[in-house]
Amino acid sequence: MGVFDYIRLGVLAVFQGPEMFSVLGVPVSVTLAMILFGFLLGIAAGATPGLAGPVAMAISLPILISAFGFTPDALLPVMGFLIGVMKGATVGGAVPAILFNTPGTPDAFMTTLDGYPMARNGQAGKALRIAHFSSASGDTFSDVVLILCAPFLAILVEAYLDLPEKTALLILSLAFISSVIGTSVGKGLISMGLGLFAAYVGTGEDFYPRLSMGTQSLAEGFPVTTAVLGVLILGEVFKNIEDLWREQKSGARMEPLQQRGDQRLHRHEIGRLAPYIGRSALIGTAIGALPGIGSTLAATLGYTINRNRYRRSRSESDPEFGSGAPEGIAATEAANSSVSGANLIPVLSLGIPGNAAAVFLILAAESIGGFNPGPSVFTFTTDTVNPELVVAFGLFTAMMLANLLNWTIGGAFMRSMGVMIRVPKHILLPIVLLLTLTAIYVQETRMEAMWFAVAFGVLGYGMRRLGMSPLPFVIAFLLGGKLEETARQAFAATGGDPFFLVTSPVASAFVALSLAVIVFSLRSARKAKA
Amino acid sequence: MRPQPKTDIVLGAGCIAASLAAIFLWIPPDTSSGLIETVRRQVSVGDALAPTAASAFVLAGGALLILRDSPTRADQRITLANLKYLLALLFMLATGFALMRWAGPIIAGIALEDGYRPQRNTVPWKYIGFFLGGSALVTSLISFVEGRVTLRSAVIGILSTLSMIAVYDLPFEDLLLPPNGDV
Repeated sequence: MGVFDYIRLGVLAVFQGPEMFSVLGVPVSVTLAMILFGFLLGIAAGATPGLAGPVAMAISLPILISAFGFTPDALLPVMGFLIGVMKGATVGGAVPAILFNTPGTPDAFMTTLDGYPMARNGQAGKALRIAHFSSASGDTFSDVVLILCAPFLAILVEAYLDLPEKTALLILSLAFISSVIGTSVGKGLISMGLGLFAAYVGTGEDFYPRLSMGTQSLAEGFPVTTAVLGVLILGEVFKNIEDLWREQKSGARMEPLQQRGDQRLHRHEIGRLAPYIGRSALIGTAIGALPGIGSTLAATLGYTINRNRYRRSRSESDPEFGSGAPEGIAATEAANSSVSGANLIPVLSLGIPGNAAAVFLILAAESIGGFNPGPSVFTFTTDTVNPELVVAFGLFTAMMLANLLNWTIGGAFMRSMGVMIRVPKHILLPIVLLLTLTAIYVQETRMEAMWFAVAFGVLGYGMRRLGMSPLPFVIAFLLGGKLEETARQAFAATGGDPFFLVTSPVASAFVALSLAVIVFSLRSARKAKA
Repeated sequence: MRPQPKTDIVLGAGCIAASLAAIFLWIPPDTSSGLIETVRRQVSVGDALAPTAASAFVLAGGALLILRDSPTRADQRITLANLKYLLALLFMLATGFALMRWAGPIIAGIALEDGYRPQRNTVPWKYIGFFLGGSALVTSLISFVEGRVTLRSAVIGILSTLSMIAVYDLPFEDLLLPPNGDV
């Protein structure tokens, strides 16, 4: 089996799976259909303020697993659907940002700055077209980088990193995530420490399940879904319901928008936007490849750098960034969309999730089984077939197909999603809450799990109110078991050497980097606030 | 150097106290092996090490908040109003969960001779708890935000719960809606 054989098998796995339906006699495989459904759902979810991609993924996951079962055959349809949602939501988030000055997803906030002024000037259609074109370009570029980089990074990790180095790498990732997310290193560390602690309840190697206080409820540990959905989804829902409850009294109303003039996007305009898209795509991809740094930072950085360039080159008649410049929309959308593909580089090559969408992909892989994202996936066995590698190439195929859908039908579907703003948030959120709780129950089948989720939801709510990002908690919770297992193995393999993390040069470098990133973040955060 | 805001000091001190309590009061008696174990001259990592390290991260984070971290914004705190809201939210959730868990068994206990358990996989019994609890939860939350109970919120609660039954239960024989996995 050569590299091209694996690529061929991955592509075939997507196209030749069980038939779901046929179009003009051409069979459409279930994976293809799921990518399409996921993509359309993602656009709708992204275009609905208060919903976003992770919520759609959380609600869909138990339904998908029930529909496809716990067999390796389920991996591509389920993960293809989730990839579709992830990509669709990235595009969809721009719709309410441009039409109603309300970002559908947090990373679309910067899109409001130029998108809404353009819409108010009668250019809503053009603004949406620019957002779609830039988003699809950034996303496609980032996927190409992912496909080229992830296998090589994984092979390097597998070839050069032993157990102590892998432990140090996990520590570096957690230190990085807790330091760079949010504005406070201390809060990041607290969030990460809490996530690790929660992961260790009811687990361990001894007969007695640790930290269970002698109760059966804690002896089984916290189910992954309760912690992840509780902190990420319920925490957000609890906070938003409170915000709505308080806002209800203000009764703000939106003005209807009128469209005037040519709404199409012409070739010369694309040529003018291309450098901005290119710069932002590079920034977003570089940022996305680092675990934990989200698309919001990419959008901010892409916007700021492009704004400085724009100031130098713009003519007097061109609008400023922030007052309806098409380049502003292009800079933001290309940057935040190019994060999504690159964010899967640490997932597929190291098994480390970098954002909420990646968390759900790992959750799906863990729930179904047969695919453990990490460096071992990219083992190019020649005598036997490595099924995980086939799935990995199947996922790459799914991503490129989702991009194809984005380029072909994505724009028109996105522009039709303006109606989603009409879904009242105060009605949507309680339904999302019940849907999430039901999703947790059907997976865990005990009321206790719903209470655990509510408790984690309260924790997530508290974190948000205190300005503490819940993402380090979730990522630490997912990586906690792996970190402990690798550390145990490394400790045993080095004959019980307590300094195993600093004996090899690579491991010491990772540990030094972990400390450096914390110190650097502390200093830069203080400078920023001063 | 500017002093840290009160919120940071309170949060930092709380985290330090909680992590110290975990390290000295909870972890040692609630794990059956220590930080490092030696069995037949083989040294291995004990079950207490990982949670102790996790607590140490919380402690370090708390200490940073008090000593040196970037100060929290004034609006990033939990007020009494937030706690009141949480209490109201938890009350609505508890009521919804109680209806989900007990409505079916109580009604079946009154109406049927052999109770709920033999009927938990039959219509309408298997839906009673989820339908009543889910509808009550959605309706009460919508009403809470709107500040009044309306027929519209009740209809939305009922329709959304029925839709969830249609999505989760009708197509899948192996999925159990609350509380049928518990009874």
